[in-house]
Amino acid sequence: MARIGVDVGGTNTDIILETFSIDSVGAGTHRHKVPSTTQDQSIGVLQGVLEVCDKAGIQRSEVGTIVHGTTVATNISIEQNGSEIGMLTTRGFRDILHIGRHKRPHNFSLHFDVPWQCKPLVKRRHRIPISERVLPPTGEVEVPLAEDEVRQAAQTFKKAGIQSVIIGFLFSFLNKQHEMRAKAIIQEEMPEAYVCCSCEVVDAMREYERFSTTAMNAYVGPKTSLYLTNLESQLKENGIDADLRIMQSNGGLATVDSCCEKPVNILMSGPASGVIGGHFFADLDGERNIITVDIGGTSADISTLTEGDIKIMNPRDSYVGGHPVMVPMIDLITIGAGGGSIAYVDEAGGFQVGPRSAGSMPGPACYNRGGQEPTVTDANILLGRLDADQMLGGDLKVDAQLSQNAIKNKIADPLGLSVEDAALGIIRIVNNNMALAIRSNSVARGVDPREFMLMPFGGAGPVHGPALAEEVNAKGVIAPPAPGITSAAGLLTTNLQYEVTRSHLCELTSISNQNFETVMGLMHDLDEEAIQKLAKDGVAPANVKLTRFAECRYHGQGFELRAEIPDGDRNRESIRRVVENFHRQHKTDYGYSYDDAEVELVTLRVVGESKSTDLAWKPLASAEGNGLDEAFMYARETVFDDGSIHSTPRYDRSKFLCGHEIPGPALVMQHDSTSLVPPGWKALVSNHGNLVITKSS
Amino acid sequence: MENKKVDPITMQVISGALDTIAEEMGHVLYRMSFSSIIRESQDLGAGLFDRNYQTICESESTPMHIGSIPAYLRGVEKTLQDGEWYEGDVVVHNHPYYGSSHTPDLAIIIPVFYEGELVGFSANTAHHIDIGAATPGLIIDVGDVYAEGMLFAGLKLYEQGKKNAGLEKMITANSRASQQLMRDIEAQVASAQLGVMRFKKLLDKYGKDRTFTTIDQLIDYSETMLRKRIAEVPDGEYQAQGFLDDDGRNREVRLPVVVTVRVEGDSVTVDLTGSADQTPTAYNVPFEGSCKVAAFAAFRKLLLDSSKLDVPIPSNEGSFRPINVVAPEGSIFNPIFPAATEARFTQCNMMIDLIIKALAPVLPEQTIAGSSAAISFASYAGMKDDGEYWVFLEVNEGAYGGRPASDGPDAIDNLMANTRNNPIEDLGMHLPMICDRYELRDDVMPGAGKHRGGIGVVKSQRVLTPGFITHESERHYHVPWGAFGGSDGAVGKCEIYNYGARDEVANMPSKFSGYVTKANDVMAFYAPCGGGYGNPLERSPEQVREDVLDDFCTVAHAYEAYGVVLDDMLELDCLATAARRSEMGA
Repeated sequence: MARIGVDVGGTNTDIILETFSIDSVGAGTHRHKVPSTTQDQSIGVLQGVLEVCDKAGIQRSEVGTIVHGTTVATNISIEQNGSEIGMLTTRGFRDILHIGRHKRPHNFSLHFDVPWQCKPLVKRRHRIPISERVLPPTGEVEVPLAEDEVRQAAQTFKKAGIQSVIIGFLFSFLNKQHEMRAKAIIQEEMPEAYVCCSCEVVDAMREYERFSTTAMNAYVGPKTSLYLTNLESQLKENGIDADLRIMQSNGGLATVDSCCEKPVNILMSGPASGVIGGHFFADLDGERNIITVDIGGTSADISTLTEGDIKIMNPRDSYVGGHPVMVPMIDLITIGAGGGSIAYVDEAGGFQVGPRSAGSMPGPACYNRGGQEPTVTDANILLGRLDADQMLGGDLKVDAQLSQNAIKNKIADPLGLSVEDAALGIIRIVNNNMALAIRSNSVARGVDPREFMLMPFGGAGPVHGPALAEEVNAKGVIAPPAPGITSAAGLLTTNLQYEVTRSHLCELTSISNQNFETVMGLMHDLDEEAIQKLAKDGVAPANVKLTRFAECRYHGQGFELRAEIPDGDRNRESIRRVVENFHRQHKTDYGYSYDDAEVELVTLRVVGESKSTDLAWKPLASAEGNGLDEAFMYARETVFDDGSIHSTPRYDRSKFLCGHEIPGPALVMQHDSTSLVPPGWKALVSNHGNLVITKSS
Repeated sequence: MENKKVDPITMQVISGALDTIAEEMGHVLYRMSFSSIIRESQDLGAGLFDRNYQTICESESTPMHIGSIPAYLRGVEKTLQDGEWYEGDVVVHNHPYYGSSHTPDLAIIIPVFYEGELVGFSANTAHHIDIGAATPGLIIDVGDVYAEGMLFAGLKLYEQGKKNAGLEKMITANSRASQQLMRDIEAQVASAQLGVMRFKKLLDKYGKDRTFTTIDQLIDYSETMLRKRIAEVPDGEYQAQGFLDDDGRNREVRLPVVVTVRVEGDSVTVDLTGSADQTPTAYNVPFEGSCKVAAFAAFRKLLLDSSKLDVPIPSNEGSFRPINVVAPEGSIFNPIFPAATEARFTQCNMMIDLIIKALAPVLPEQTIAGSSAAISFASYAGMKDDGEYWVFLEVNEGAYGGRPASDGPDAIDNLMANTRNNPIEDLGMHLPMICDRYELRDDVMPGAGKHRGGIGVVKSQRVLTPGFITHESERHYHVPWGAFGGSDGAVGKCEIYNYGARDEVANMPSKFSGYVTKANDVMAFYAPCGGGYGNPLERSPEQVREDVLDDFCTVAHAYEAYGVVLDDMLELDCLATAARRSEMGA
């Protein structure tokens, strides 16, 4: 059965179809690209899926699985058009969501916005306090749940036309009874409503973060569910009876049902596919240490993978639209730097690039859509690093003169620089902004970039690769075979995956017998729960891989770090190893460990996965001594990052074979991307078509 | 930025690198630390400084710390053990008459040597929960600076890389929370060491001369940005006056604060002459480490509002230079040794609020109505079963005055404060305390206006063991003012009662020291609410109705203050509203 990966981006929806030898057209991969339909993503997705089938010449019925990376939940949070939510909360604590952590977003400002107050996920009028009280540290009930108040609240919500209800009580991570009972009552009174409890969405300590995550879940929930179920039925109506799987923020796949229940898990679905895709292509050539840089029009997503390991962010650091969202997400950072980033001179004469972007409307000056301000793309055009007549294989008409004018008027003249120096400056500053972000995601965490390859993708990625590698001292660059569809391809390389957690605070270094028993019991329960979730998707227990973490801190600290729980028999020795792993992690992250301090457990986490078949990416035929003549297109002058100008040959990447070596200076051209090989560097075509670009000496 | 020696591109690159270093230093410090005042509240600052003690870069943590470290460094110069810096030294310093912000804010300072030469310093400051003062945590009603606990002046915690074990023992023996104190100091050392390492790498990459030329230019750049804004303010003398409740002992004596802002060209002087004399308690402001810092911050907020800038200005010495601060010796803003100075925050916040008020007539679109401009800094302490002390410091939030284009934010740290709260659940799991209430006040209304004032918070904390509470707050008498036709906000209050007898309420003054608590005593803090900005009758009736629906405003207040009439179903009665508003003079 054929498989399709479909990734929705801001501008384009990218599709990759993989067929197997048993399919009518035999084994192979087929790529396609359609404009994204921002109003309703499913139109573009459906169109793309149907077209790629036609293009490849397969029957729609041959498609067995569709894996989808979607920004639908993200966009609801960005556009702020989610559900009107009703909230039940503990009496005396109506404004936890309004107060947040009471820290301003700006230190030096009087006119700042407070997103959680002026654009609340739950309006204050819909936050209804309920009499109930659970007390720490044991979870004993001081005030029983006032069920009549819950019923009354349901009536109030009904009158207000509310369809989405959350329940957030204090200390529900110690005792879930009140939340679960209130949920049952709401469901009786409002059978149609979307209802979730904070302990179900994220079973963890810290009321604001837990309530906020729950509110975000309910905020994006109804619309996201509608989108997913609608897409599923439209595919069926069009003859595609495939399993639909969705990429989650943690890089694992989930079923439509599961995503409808916890849509908060797919807020970062889009960028996650990129990291997974980058990982896949690097892995083909055995490259284990990579920094992925997915550069689009307005932003760049950066992630660091050590020893092939995709790092998950500390849930305490995850924010979406200014709201904390404590769910597992791939550790990546997004910065406002891309092809469309605008360069300008500020009033004190400072030279800035981004984060403002020209987007696709008006777009870079050279697009001739009325943009007067120079962008990164304009700088690349002016320097001959992108060929104006080859943009999207010549499909996109651009005017290099407009780039020149914009850079001259807005940058070069005001700063007294030559147009060329100004353009180089734009490139250097945007690269520097990206480099700083790369460092904060790598060096700042104890990772030494000299042991890493930088992997740039997205259409605009590879042209910046070598300069970025140089700037962060990476050992080289890998441009994946199809930079524009790396994310879509990533969808076909990952696994069904669920995470389950339990909050349990106790000392680990000097664990008591009672806590030891409790922790053992919880670990067992979590294993079962993860296995059950996968079983519901038809995965046999034997095919489930479990990874376990203890989120710990030194007793008295406020931030947890993840310590891995060893596989195999679990006993006091495994607890000792968790403690050791924690000390080590602390040392890695902060450069210091408190060896005599008590280690405290906060949360247990189990990740269950079921391995899917990876995309089969065919190796290239060997060049076997054949030269580059066939791939040579033409030569033009190009300005490189050091300012040197060289007559530079352009090569058609589709003609490359395994083992071809391309000496710099060179530009490697393909439909939606250009890779840069600077003078003194060389590019080697790998077995699987990666371009490995390194310094020659 | 002119093109002097370093090109604008390198300058941008180094600027970004410096910001990242400062942020990383702050990050390591609060992630590693143990006391909630550092790890949750992030009451800390970190950065790099040149050998002339100028700020090169500083982390975006708490404004009160930003800009204070140069004063510490100048104080260390006068008191340094051995009189000289050596590679591997680590200095601890907190003497308020040698530049510290106040005694609990310990600085850790490491000299940066490059190619054998002292080129600058990596340093941070953090608020520690107990340094052995007269009462646990905080102190107000004490007679002199020696009652504030340990004084460190230029002492070396490490001498040329070797730990000073005696000093460590002395510190450990003199704190009620010695383990947290020592571990938090270790976190400070780790953060400062990281700064040294990163700074040296930067010097390696760009060379010493080029890096320092760039730094000088970056400082000039920030200075230029601020001077341009000051130059836009009409020259002249602007004055505003307010008062503080009391000094924490003499309950009936209000303390005047007089702020005169003199604008001359692109410089400004803040003159505090006319403010109260120094007090006999710890309610005094160290001049170098706190008073000046607050004045610097005021102008940065007012004139270089970061929410209005596309890119933030580099956080360095440049934003301090155009501002001159004058406070007569012997006044509350410039006390004479050995006056105690631990409780110095609310005076600083009042000064900033008054600077804003003074400039309102000439900067109507940049200034805002009166804010809570206080703080609620509470220390809860008691004994654990094992006989050890537990100490918890909590910073409660304030509220902003109404603003030219928007309402004042509710329940948020105000002006000089910008900390994070301690999660209620985290508190309940680790300390013998239970939070009974944490939400917006509903006993008073904030200032009415075209843009209303922010609503203060009420927080009720129950202590489960006997012990002590010390509380530093303000504005039980001096109400945050309205601006441009807006009405005044509401004063704060503080109550103590026992959970078992909730009707027997003791009204507390805004500042009290070492109050002895029984088990199950509750302290309920009510923050002041901000004043309104602009005529309330210019607020749209629809918006007032929205406020009523959200319980930000009562039906009665809508009628009284805004002239908006709502019917029983809370629908707008347009005719009655028009009539009421015209009666009110709309």
